[in-house]
Amino acid sequence: MSQVEFVNITIDGTTVQVPAGEMVIESARRVGIEIPHFCYHPRLTMEAGANCRMCLVEVSMPRKNPDGTLALARMPKPQTSCSLPAAEGMVIETETPMIVEARKGMLEFLLINHPLDCPICDRGGECPLQNNTMHYGAATTRFVEEKRHPPKAYPLSKYVIFDRERCIHCARCTRFASDISGDAQLDFLKRGADMEVSSFRDTEFTSLYSGNVIEVCPVGALLSRPYRFTARPWDLSTQKSICTECSNGCNIKLDHRAGKLLRVNARLNEEVNEEWTCDQGKFGMDYASHEKRLRRPLIRDGAVFREVSWDEALTHVATALSEAGPAAAFLGGARSSNEDLFVLRRLFQEVLGSQNMDHRLGPAYPSAADVRAALGSQSPTPIAAYERMTTIIVFGCDLAVELPILYLRVRKAAVRRGAKVIECQPSSYRERPHANKVTDFAHSSIWYEPGQETAIAEALAHVMTGGRDPGASDGASDAAASLPNAVAEANVEFGSAIPRLDDGPIAIIIGRDVWSRSLSVPATLKAAADKMGTPCVINTYACSVNEQGARELGILPDGSVQASAPGLNADQILHGLKDGTVKALWVSGVDIASQFHDPELVTQSLEQAPFVVVTALDLNRTATMADVVLPLASVAEYDGTYTSMERRVQRFHQAFDAGVDVREEWRIAANVGMRLGVDMPYASWRDIFGAIATSERAFAECTPDNLGDGGRLLADRNNEDSR
Amino acid sequence: MTHDRTDPAYARRFSPDAVRELEELVARYPQRKAAMLPALWIAQREYGGEITAEAMEEVAHRLGVPPVEVEGVASFYTMYNLKKRGRKHIEVCACLTCAVLDSASVIHALEQRLGIKAGETTADGEYSLSEAECLNWCEAGTVVQVGHRYYGNVTAEDVDRLLDDIAGDPRNDVVTHADTVVRVQLRGGCKGRPRPSAEVEADRG
Repeated sequence: MSQVEFVNITIDGTTVQVPAGEMVIESARRVGIEIPHFCYHPRLTMEAGANCRMCLVEVSMPRKNPDGTLALARMPKPQTSCSLPAAEGMVIETETPMIVEARKGMLEFLLINHPLDCPICDRGGECPLQNNTMHYGAATTRFVEEKRHPPKAYPLSKYVIFDRERCIHCARCTRFASDISGDAQLDFLKRGADMEVSSFRDTEFTSLYSGNVIEVCPVGALLSRPYRFTARPWDLSTQKSICTECSNGCNIKLDHRAGKLLRVNARLNEEVNEEWTCDQGKFGMDYASHEKRLRRPLIRDGAVFREVSWDEALTHVATALSEAGPAAAFLGGARSSNEDLFVLRRLFQEVLGSQNMDHRLGPAYPSAADVRAALGSQSPTPIAAYERMTTIIVFGCDLAVELPILYLRVRKAAVRRGAKVIECQPSSYRERPHANKVTDFAHSSIWYEPGQETAIAEALAHVMTGGRDPGASDGASDAAASLPNAVAEANVEFGSAIPRLDDGPIAIIIGRDVWSRSLSVPATLKAAADKMGTPCVINTYACSVNEQGARELGILPDGSVQASAPGLNADQILHGLKDGTVKALWVSGVDIASQFHDPELVTQSLEQAPFVVVTALDLNRTATMADVVLPLASVAEYDGTYTSMERRVQRFHQAFDAGVDVREEWRIAANVGMRLGVDMPYASWRDIFGAIATSERAFAECTPDNLGDGGRLLADRNNEDSR
Repeated sequence: MTHDRTDPAYARRFSPDAVRELEELVARYPQRKAAMLPALWIAQREYGGEITAEAMEEVAHRLGVPPVEVEGVASFYTMYNLKKRGRKHIEVCACLTCAVLDSASVIHALEQRLGIKAGETTADGEYSLSEAECLNWCEAGTVVQVGHRYYGNVTAEDVDRLLDDIAGDPRNDVVTHADTVVRVQLRGGCKGRPRPSAEVEADRG
């Protein structure tokens, strides 16, 4: 790392050392001075920035007198502190009469076309424009002419409403679209008096990250369609939580009122999501307050369900499970918390003596033993570590859909840190209907047809292990010329030459579609990586919210060291239900009838199963075929932890009471266990988390109190004995 | 954005000559998108005098920029026609100097004569009329631009002669290239102005 040079600058009388070149607006934050601003945003580039002119400060610089002494020379006009790099001896004043006057004037300009309809604006109460006007603005305006009146509620996308009247043209949303999500679908049109932000020809803003523009907008111009007119900010309560829509583990805030989840905003975590969310997470969590939520336990009574007490339902489940004993089985759990999974595992292993547990729903998943054999015990690459990678290979993965926040980090690594991204994708990827594709920033794109994955992996391995002319200085020689015959025969289209790969750390992301079918791709690349001199990690990331937790806690037929013999996997369990070898099934939190790779098999198995208990939020297809349905608490209604795909254990907090008679899954499992005579004395998530830390080596350094707001990475697997 | 410029799906309307012309222009600059303005001129020509959504998309693909950035540029300059114009596009300067010299009366006279409002096109598709921002010939206000030609010192009384002058002259057709515009003095001079009566054509460049 290069040496950072520091300079001394004085801000309102306080002298502080800051890195040379840091923008003065940031330096002021270091001494506790917040300079009002609208367009400045630390994560957006300054291209098209410094346009709101709100952050003006007075600047003096030391200048040499003829006799050699130094004197301060004040710049004649105020400067924008968001674009003013700190320099040695600089003296900044933020509250002079000139600045007070300038801010008043700027706000008067910004409000010329702003409708000032704060009373009916969603943003009122949490609006930088409103706050700054109250604090720094003049009491009235001298502008008496007609304001502009563009359309008020223009539907920009499925999730975003655009109120053009309120826009102050700060370019934050356009810069988000071009700098961060990269789809660049927003820009200024008709520059001049009629300037407006728009998408191309008013087409739909199809970014998978469109919701972020609502959060970066410093006025009430970009609004959330689901949240619009549902609450005032001062009536909302906020709770820290974790997004459950994928395995990235984005830190979020749940805004709720009167027991109802109203909106999701990002919560800052530099290691994970920075301050972004994807639309899936921001707008997909409405299930927590869905009308169709289950309210009571249900027991099948002929063709219909009957609402029963928890006691009756739990006794019924306990009886059925104890009769099944080792012939009981468990499916799902990738959406349950670590605590849920730990107690469920105890119930099945210790109480029932069954290892028939599987959280995976795809076809022909490799066994845990095969995965360990092929990939060793490498820890996955953490999200933030991508910024340090020289090369990133994305293999058969629609990253923006499968792992949306990792997509933003990989893009940042490529665009801002100069990482070379190589993608090997099925040719159908080009036709995917969204705007956030790796192709836009990839160094090279290699397209293949289904079935050619192994050949492509072999070709990559060939290049990785030096199967090219080492004399080629920039490594841009035609790789196709030296590829093995398999690839030439596969008639693979190489988009462009593969760069040299041995000049720094490499992270390889393999899509679920590829690794869940066959380990040949990860195994081939792993073998090549082991021969390389540079560090190279093969990542087969988990995709569901706590799928990694299910891996860590061994919700797998052969995943547990305690089990003497492996149990049945998902396919075997479902077949076992048909032929009678599996006598009871617990389905946890997942609608397997819709999500299993073979829904037909699920329907047949559930119809013939002697006993099925389903835990669910609502009466999904699987639940309609169950004997007992137990209503679950949603993530907003209880406390616990998830393990994200980078093995980060993170806390989610209860936001509100469910208002209906639902329970956490760990409590349900413990209740059943106690009815079967095994003591599971857990009163809260803390008790269980403590037990996990005691029994699970990976969690050994975790305690309920050391997770913090940002979570904690599990102990590096390389330091463990083989699990 | 990495668009495959050789992909035939994107080679929509630009003729081989136009593509060659664009690539020669692109070669002059360090970045492809620097050739945006001439690329839009080519597009306007290739798409029959109108920059349609498809034209902007083609320019975006050929220069490797997002389409909305092309629209941002095209919507700034009035000489790019984002709407279908008549074959003769009459643009009357309505900026300060011309306004002081009563450009409003010129616009009004043209509206009367053509039977359309400013911003509209005649039913036969022959004439479009619009107000323009400063045409940069302030000493000769009111200035009227029709296609490749600039008319100076125009008053409401000159409107009939103006229309006679532009009828059937291909030089007055919709602009296809920025650097061919010439200044013109209407034959017969203008009332009250000590101007030569002969036609004066000179390169603006």
